[in-house]
Amino acid sequence: MNTIRLEHTFPEVFAKRSDLHSEVWQQDVTLERGKLYLVEASSGTGKSSLCSFIYGYRRDYQGMISFDGANIRNFKTKDWTNLRQRHLSLMWQELRLFPELTAIENVQIKNRLTGFKGKKQIRQWFEELGIADKMDTKVGIMSFGQQQRVALMRALVQPMDFLFVDEPVSHLDDTNARIMADIMMEEATRQGAGVVVTSIGKHVDLNYDKTLRL
Amino acid sequence: MRLVWKLLRQHISGLQLLGFFLANLLGMLIVLLALQFYRDVRPVFSQDDGVINNDYLILSKKISAIGFGTTSFSDSEIKEIEKQPFTKRIGTFTASQYKVSCSMGIDGVANFGTQMYFESVPDNFVDTDKSQWKYDENSDFVPIILPRSYLTIYNFGFAQSRSLPKLSEGVISMIDMMVILRGDAKERRMRGKVIGFTNRLNTILVPESFMQWSNQEFAPNADIEPTRLIVEVGNPTDDRIAKFIQKHGYDIDEDKLQAGKATYFLKVMSAIVMGVGLLISALSFFILMLSIYLLVQKNTVKLQNLLLIGYSPARVSLPYQLLTIGMNAFVLLMALGILYWLRSQYMEMLWAMFPSIEETSMWPAYVLGGILFLLVSVLNVIAIRRKVSKCF
Repeated sequence: MNTIRLEHTFPEVFAKRSDLHSEVWQQDVTLERGKLYLVEASSGTGKSSLCSFIYGYRRDYQGMISFDGANIRNFKTKDWTNLRQRHLSLMWQELRLFPELTAIENVQIKNRLTGFKGKKQIRQWFEELGIADKMDTKVGIMSFGQQQRVALMRALVQPMDFLFVDEPVSHLDDTNARIMADIMMEEATRQGAGVVVTSIGKHVDLNYDKTLRL
Repeated sequence: MRLVWKLLRQHISGLQLLGFFLANLLGMLIVLLALQFYRDVRPVFSQDDGVINNDYLILSKKISAIGFGTTSFSDSEIKEIEKQPFTKRIGTFTASQYKVSCSMGIDGVANFGTQMYFESVPDNFVDTDKSQWKYDENSDFVPIILPRSYLTIYNFGFAQSRSLPKLSEGVISMIDMMVILRGDAKERRMRGKVIGFTNRLNTILVPESFMQWSNQEFAPNADIEPTRLIVEVGNPTDDRIAKFIQKHGYDIDEDKLQAGKATYFLKVMSAIVMGVGLLISALSFFILMLSIYLLVQKNTVKLQNLLLIGYSPARVSLPYQLLTIGMNAFVLLMALGILYWLRSQYMEMLWAMFPSIEETSMWPAYVLGGILFLLVSVLNVIAIRRKVSKCF
């Protein structure tokens, strides 16, 4: 997959709003593979909605979203399963980790599906991110900042053309945010994936190709 | 798979599964036991002899005091019986219109001869090996079915008083009989062989095709009117049969009607018990489905998240599907085990009371159990898949 295109797309709840001044909603926007984007937004402008529309689990939008020219409204369950395993990765703002599983299990549950990374690589990430001692701790009792790092690793253990990270560093100090950004960019660059980072304020300092105001 | 199971086994209620297990076991056991018991006990009532089916009644006319009135059925009388609601099929007995004599011998020495007669019924009323029950005009061979009572008369009356050897059914079947057919102008010797014995018909049966040929050959001018009818009835307890027979002054073998009634009640009782068993099975199926639905509901967020990180609905459904299939298989094995044990208990009693009944096989119960297992499992698998797919 090389492009994601949004044509006059906007959330249905915004249908009655006339004061929509956005560089994404109701515009023609094309996201390209291999590029780095920052989507800046204030809260309530539909940042998470954008991610959920593109990731295929909400359809309450107007206009059209297409991957390489194919309207995603026509995709079937099996298409989405394939996309989520091999082409699209998303790190949710609310993380969606499994609190009953340990940190390493939360990464493995995805990695076993894709068989993408070795144990050694994952362990190395845990160490770099400073949570190696928490590998066997249940995610439910970890801090949100620690959970964010686990969620990032889970987002990286798959082949991908685009990576969406929804407020990835909201609960991290600058040092850890930096480490996380480096790991993320290293993997994305290695795969040649496009990266879309969203932020409502605090954002990672990266060499963005384009910044879009939502 | 291990991790997915670790997630999805959360909220599984052991009590609900135990409830399902017991209910399903009870239902399955009742269904299988009813079937097996019916099959085991039926021979006691029906004295099935393997030649003539049990649901047939033999109809004749009452013989008047003097005995010269007509005892044959006219076409219109046959048509009337055919029209009765209790009749499923009807066939006529055709009697031989020529003289028959027969002698039996061992090693070519004839030591037993008698005058006799033949009768035939339509071949589809005779429940025997069809490859033997046929007649070929070019051959000299005639297959014969004898009433079992004839053998009893010979063995315990005739042979006893004349110091002749007693003959078993097996020996009779090996003996060649010389059959001599005599018409007005012709005579022919043929080879007869007893291929079976029956308790249900008091006559010497030959294939219908042989009867047609021989009557044509030896008594071409005889007027053939049947004196006995064979009637297959749907329900031998039907009141209308008794009323009809009484009204027309026909005769029927009461004993056979009684046996038919007993078998019929056994059938009805078994069907009711099986119905109850099936109902319990169906209810247990709903317990399981409710339990699984509740589980899916409680684990909705986990299921959704699994689907969002790229698991397919099929893969997410699999643990629950395997759980139900495993439970169903366990129930099937338990039910068959208990059935086997229960059967050994009542069969002992049954054999003590009726030593002559033969052991019936348990295969139909195994097959029925297998079918129930497959049916319930397939429905479970589909229902779970649909429920999980709704989370997508």
